[in-house]
Amino acid sequence: MSDHTALDQDTLEMLKDVMEDGFNDLIMTYLTDSEVRVAALAEAIKSQDSEAVRREAHSLKGSSGNIGATGLAGLCLVVEHKGRDGDLCGLEENLSDIRAAFAIISDSLKALLN
Amino acid sequence: MTEQSNLKILIADDTDTDRLILQTIVSKEGHQVICARDGVEAVEQFEKERPDIVLLDALMPNLDGFGAARQIKELAGEELIPIIFLTSLTETESLVKCLDAGGDDFLQKPYNRVILQAKIKSFNRMREMHRTMLEQRDQIQIHNNHLIQEQTVAKQVFDNVAHSGCLDAANVRHYLSPMAVFNGDVLVAALRPSGSMMVLLGDFTGHGLPAAIGAMPLASTFYGMVQKGFALSDILREINQKLKSILPVGVFCCATFLEVDFHERTVTAWNGGLPDCLIYRPKTGTVDHIKSKHLPLGVLSNIQMKVDCLHFELDPGDKVYMWSDGIHEARDGAGEMFGEERLLNTFHNSNNKPSLFDDVMAAVQGFIGDNEADDDLSLVEIEMVAPEEVSSKSMPSYSTEGPGLMEWRLQFEILPSTIRYFDPLPLLLNIVTEVPGLRSHSGSLYTILAELYSNALEHGVLGLSSELKASPEGFAEYYAQREERLANLQNASINFAISHDTRENGGNLTIKVKDSGKGFEYDNKLLDLSSKKGYCGRGIPLIRTMCESLKYLGNGNEIEVVYSWRSDR
Amino acid sequence: MAINSSISPDGSELTFSIQGRFDFSAHQDFRRSYENLETAPSVYFVDMRETTYLDSSALGMLLLLRDHAGGDSSTVKIVNCSPDVKKILTISNFEQLFTIQ
Repeated sequence: MSDHTALDQDTLEMLKDVMEDGFNDLIMTYLTDSEVRVAALAEAIKSQDSEAVRREAHSLKGSSGNIGATGLAGLCLVVEHKGRDGDLCGLEENLSDIRAAFAIISDSLKALLN
Repeated sequence: MTEQSNLKILIADDTDTDRLILQTIVSKEGHQVICARDGVEAVEQFEKERPDIVLLDALMPNLDGFGAARQIKELAGEELIPIIFLTSLTETESLVKCLDAGGDDFLQKPYNRVILQAKIKSFNRMREMHRTMLEQRDQIQIHNNHLIQEQTVAKQVFDNVAHSGCLDAANVRHYLSPMAVFNGDVLVAALRPSGSMMVLLGDFTGHGLPAAIGAMPLASTFYGMVQKGFALSDILREINQKLKSILPVGVFCCATFLEVDFHERTVTAWNGGLPDCLIYRPKTGTVDHIKSKHLPLGVLSNIQMKVDCLHFELDPGDKVYMWSDGIHEARDGAGEMFGEERLLNTFHNSNNKPSLFDDVMAAVQGFIGDNEADDDLSLVEIEMVAPEEVSSKSMPSYSTEGPGLMEWRLQFEILPSTIRYFDPLPLLLNIVTEVPGLRSHSGSLYTILAELYSNALEHGVLGLSSELKASPEGFAEYYAQREERLANLQNASINFAISHDTRENGGNLTIKVKDSGKGFEYDNKLLDLSSKKGYCGRGIPLIRTMCESLKYLGNGNEIEVVYSWRSDR
Repeated sequence: MAINSSISPDGSELTFSIQGRFDFSAHQDFRRSYENLETAPSVYFVDMRETTYLDSSALGMLLLLRDHAGGDSSTVKIVNCSPDVKKILTISNFEQLFTIQ
């Protein structure tokens, strides 16, 4: 199993370069946004809404990928596919993996803030 | 517009992180960014801001990217608004869905700055090309409308000039198909003062305007000269000369020129470059060919040009057919040509029906089927009828209301060199018909002048005996002698003295013709209508019926006629 | 439609061979093959062995060639005509202007 908490350094360098002064804002936006998404995903799983599961996982996958959190994006992809296929088995377990990974990534990203 | 130009770019993404990254990348390129959080907002912003390029996330709440793309494409109308889908979708099916919704490309997450820049650049180029294309298309449309409008007006002028004259006469039928607005074929017909009909069918090299332009001088020369009584050979030379001088080398006019004489029941024909004309004789079912023996008009200089004609006798009901090569070269679906053989078969299978003209048209059109003709189709039929049946409503009538030549006197003498090469009749007729009201008498006047002149020339100056013409063999001998004596003519003259008095509602035209011949013994009392018969002397009784008075003077080498006329009005 | 032209080694004879339909589309190629020659040929051959059809534009092009070659003093020979091609040339009485073989 690959490391779900890894951050792609090239992507982060590119973002620093592009965002310049806006890099802190971007990280904060990602963190806030992702917390909302994770909560929404939990809600969707709880209510067995496979379409909402798919959509929330998809969004979190996209933004995580963009920020360089490729491992987390991979976890989200699994959930997205389950949502798409209407396969709701073991989602609680997936959700806790995502939560755990996001907590560690959160800390790593916060450490990058000036 | 340059590639550095600032574009207005709409970014629609429900994820704040993604939107922030894209917004930053795009604004750093110097573009103006408009953001939307979902599909509904995206469509609203599009309507409000009219961006140049749209970046759309596929999955968004309220209205997803696919729905938004459809609406945006709809709103964009003809304009090309490139839509790039922002997606981490990887399945082929979803990508196809993006394209179906009107997406032009994808941008995969995670975003790559360089790729995004390249895509914006290339789509902007495409957008500009599309805009240029639309502008040019609209310009072409405007130009085309303009051109068609101009051509429509020009075609009216052209048709008035090139397809006119006495084509409406009861014994003439014709069909002309325009391939473009203009037709490379020209068809003109007019009645000579003598009552015979002259018809010229021409086919200029090429099609459209370049082909049509030569028709103008051709038609105006034709009408001007036919009406004034010029001979076929003179008109041909004049037209050839005009075309040769104005047309570039390589542009010419294949033509057939016919003169149909309804009194003599003959047709005189000159064919330069058109397919054989056919004479169909219903009584016998036979077909005579009038072959092309000459180069087309506008190729040779007048010195090299030959104007010798073919002569045929016609019976009433015989029909002459003229056509351009469009009929022969009409193609069917397989590209095969209609050809002369099929045309002749139509004639042979006609069983003497009067509908031959329609049969030919039907055969050609049936052969072509739904294929477009690739050449102009022209067909003319002229039937030999009695002279009085030849009339046309649309022959130009000249209302000479104002004062013209009223009272006048003219002396005109021609000498050997002129007698040999020049036909004085058109000139004289032209002057005489300047008298207001006499224009409509030009047919009778031409006949009178022509008969008086030929008597003065042939019997007076050349001393030919009209007795010779009593037999068919003598007829040929007569013309052989005429040619020989004319060539050796010396010390001769023919003098015309013409005067006119205008009366109320008409006038008297007095024509005296005096020749240098020795005259003959005459008795003016014998000039009644029933005295002479046979081939010879037909002229004098004919003139006698047309004139108020006719008498010989002097030694019989001088004749005076008075033509009395009343205005029809 | 294709036009090939070849010039004899001494430059005195220019031969065109025309394949397929000889019509207005040949205009540019036909002209190009006789204009801008270093030495003017004294005899021109137009080889119609593989010509299936010619229209009035083609007749016009032949007149242009004749004009270019010196008009009445030119020698332009049209050779290897099929019966169909020959008929078109005959109707137009081009044998009065060209040597047709």
